[in-house]
Amino acid sequence: MARVVLENLVKTFPAAGNSAAFTAVKGINLTVEEGEFMVLVGPSGCGKSTTLRMIAGLEEVSSGSIRIGDQVVNGVLPKDRDIAMVFQNYALYPHMSVYENLAFGLKLRRLPKSEIAARVQAAADLLGLADLLERKPKALSGGQRQRVAVGRAIVRRPKVFLFDEPLSNLDAKMRVQMRTEIARLHARLGATMIYVTHDQVEAMTMGDRICVMKEGQILQVAEPLELYQRPANLFVAGFIGSPPMNFLRGAVVRSDNRRDFVADGGVGALRLALPARLAEPARALEGRAAVLGVRPEQVQLVAEGAPGGHPCTVELAEPMGAETFLHLRSAAGVFIARVEAGVTHRQGSRVCAAFELERAHLFDAASEIRLT
Amino acid sequence: MSAPVSTRPGRAGRLAAVLPHVVIGAILLIEFFPLYMMLQVAFKDNAAFIDNPWLPAPLADWRWENWWFALNLIGPYVANTVFVAVTGTVCSVALAVLGAYFFARYRLPGSGVLWSLFMVLMLLPGIANLVPLFTLLKELSLLNTLWALIAVGVAGGQVFNLFVLRNFIEDLPKDLFEAAEMDGAGHLQQIRHIVVPMSRSILGTLAIMAFLGKWNEFLLPLVILRDRELFTLGVGLIYLDGEYVKQWGQIMAAYCFAALPLIILFLFTMRLFVKGLSQGAIKG
Ligand SMILES: Nc1ncnc2c1ncn2[C@@H]1O[C@H](COP(=O)(O)OP(=O)(O)OP(=O)(O)O)[C@@H](O)[C@H]1O
Ligand SMILES: [Mg+2]
Repeated sequence: MARVVLENLVKTFPAAGNSAAFTAVKGINLTVEEGEFMVLVGPSGCGKSTTLRMIAGLEEVSSGSIRIGDQVVNGVLPKDRDIAMVFQNYALYPHMSVYENLAFGLKLRRLPKSEIAARVQAAADLLGLADLLERKPKALSGGQRQRVAVGRAIVRRPKVFLFDEPLSNLDAKMRVQMRTEIARLHARLGATMIYVTHDQVEAMTMGDRICVMKEGQILQVAEPLELYQRPANLFVAGFIGSPPMNFLRGAVVRSDNRRDFVADGGVGALRLALPARLAEPARALEGRAAVLGVRPEQVQLVAEGAPGGHPCTVELAEPMGAETFLHLRSAAGVFIARVEAGVTHRQGSRVCAAFELERAHLFDAASEIRLT
Repeated sequence: MSAPVSTRPGRAGRLAAVLPHVVIGAILLIEFFPLYMMLQVAFKDNAAFIDNPWLPAPLADWRWENWWFALNLIGPYVANTVFVAVTGTVCSVALAVLGAYFFARYRLPGSGVLWSLFMVLMLLPGIANLVPLFTLLKELSLLNTLWALIAVGVAGGQVFNLFVLRNFIEDLPKDLFEAAEMDGAGHLQQIRHIVVPMSRSILGTLAIMAFLGKWNEFLLPLVILRDRELFTLGVGLIYLDGEYVKQWGQIMAAYCFAALPLIILFLFTMRLFVKGLSQGAIKG
């Protein structure tokens, strides 16, 4: 177990052929505490894998430093970093049996045979691989291969585990199962784990903390609920949560002794009186473009004519079983409401929606930063 | 392999099915005729040969002693050739794996130029090198040694081996090497535990081709070797013709012996060989 500290970490891929030099990671700072499960999440191409591979030592650091425990490991070979990595497509050695796959790293480290056998057996028991030890990877299902890949990391007992989208090749059900298994593994081993995914559900459910990246930069590092309730900016707000947060574009307008949010959309557009919590910080936004962020569960259907009610048309109803997602169109644009499944809403029917602004957020449209 | 079976039993269909067999049969006939001659003449003495060149002698007249004579005659040549071919093949493939691994996995400054130079070598006809090569070997005092054959063979074979192996290794999933690196494998261990087991059939093919090349080599040993006890089969066999009282049967028996190791090798490795060839063909 060890802390992992990234300081001003930069990765620039040099120009090659007719592609120009490209900076994939732009000076990130991140501390992963001892025993923590840190999830790196972000859209494709944001530099998650590159960051992870730098920690693993598979990619050279352009500048900045990586510390594992007390040691700066920039120049240390992967095998001497005491870390293990689980690859997206498993990277099992196809010509070796499951047992040999698990034992390979231990053999190279010249552990005594009995110790190797004991560790492999323990890992196999833990992951339910005991009956498969003689098989070749080609004779395993995706989930089993994934377990072998995880097992190969476990037997080494490394200080830090790295996962690069380990579940993305599995079907939905298997993914959920493996998710809990890895989470359980973390609880049991108590090791530091860094887990890369672009699936925000995985991030939310597994991480002690989540680090959201975009275009080679870290936008926010926080615990899952914190991230959900208090996203630092528009990108995080839109990325975390499914269905995503609704964004209404508009402006903050002063009227009498209060402030209103007026959505773009011309005549009859939505006008919302901001509650005290939002009104005060909204002062800075007066006269400027603003974005109001409302989670789908903060949109309620109300009776027609009720105060704050806003007439909309149902564009699409997605019944999820326990709840239904309604895509609503209004003068202010399209937004999604998460409503109880009891009532069926037909496409095209007219409803009235009200926004629960107490938990909504205001963002500066220019800087995209959350103000409230 | 059977010919594609036509579902329409029409005349054209039947012809299409038969034609390949006819062609293959004709080719086989042409290929096998010399072999047949070699084998049947090997059991005759000169008188019988001149008397009846085309058909086998009656079993009672078979001259088994031809074979014994031939064995004594070319036994040492076979031994020399096996030594050169085996040593050369092992060194050649081993070095090629090392080189190909380097070229496949690392881009160092200059490696591109180095690679191009290697490929240019492939365009040079080997024969153009013969005189400079002779001079070089003379300078190195390697003339009239088997080591010269081995060294030249290993060096010369590298270009093709590297060309094939590099592409093959580049096509192996990169993750495997990275996983091995994380598992603690250095370069040699990655070669031993990843590259070699995963490219076994292509290595086998290259080895067989190297072996064949060595086995059939003629010009170089002819130029380099002077002592009869160092002769390899290629040179040894042509000296059979003429220097002795020309007993065709003995010479043919010797030829049979010369071919025997190759036939045995092929019987054991043909599947590997074909697999390697097709693997090379399908990958792309
Ligand atoms: N070897 C390389 N040479 C040049 N550019 C590279 C190289 N590897 C990655 N990149 C670029 O760096 C950026 C970040 O890549 P990275 O693999 O870290 O993304 P990612 O966040 O893991 O995305 P994904 O979710 O798709 O895996 C991408 O734009 C990619 O094109
Ligand atoms: Mg990636």
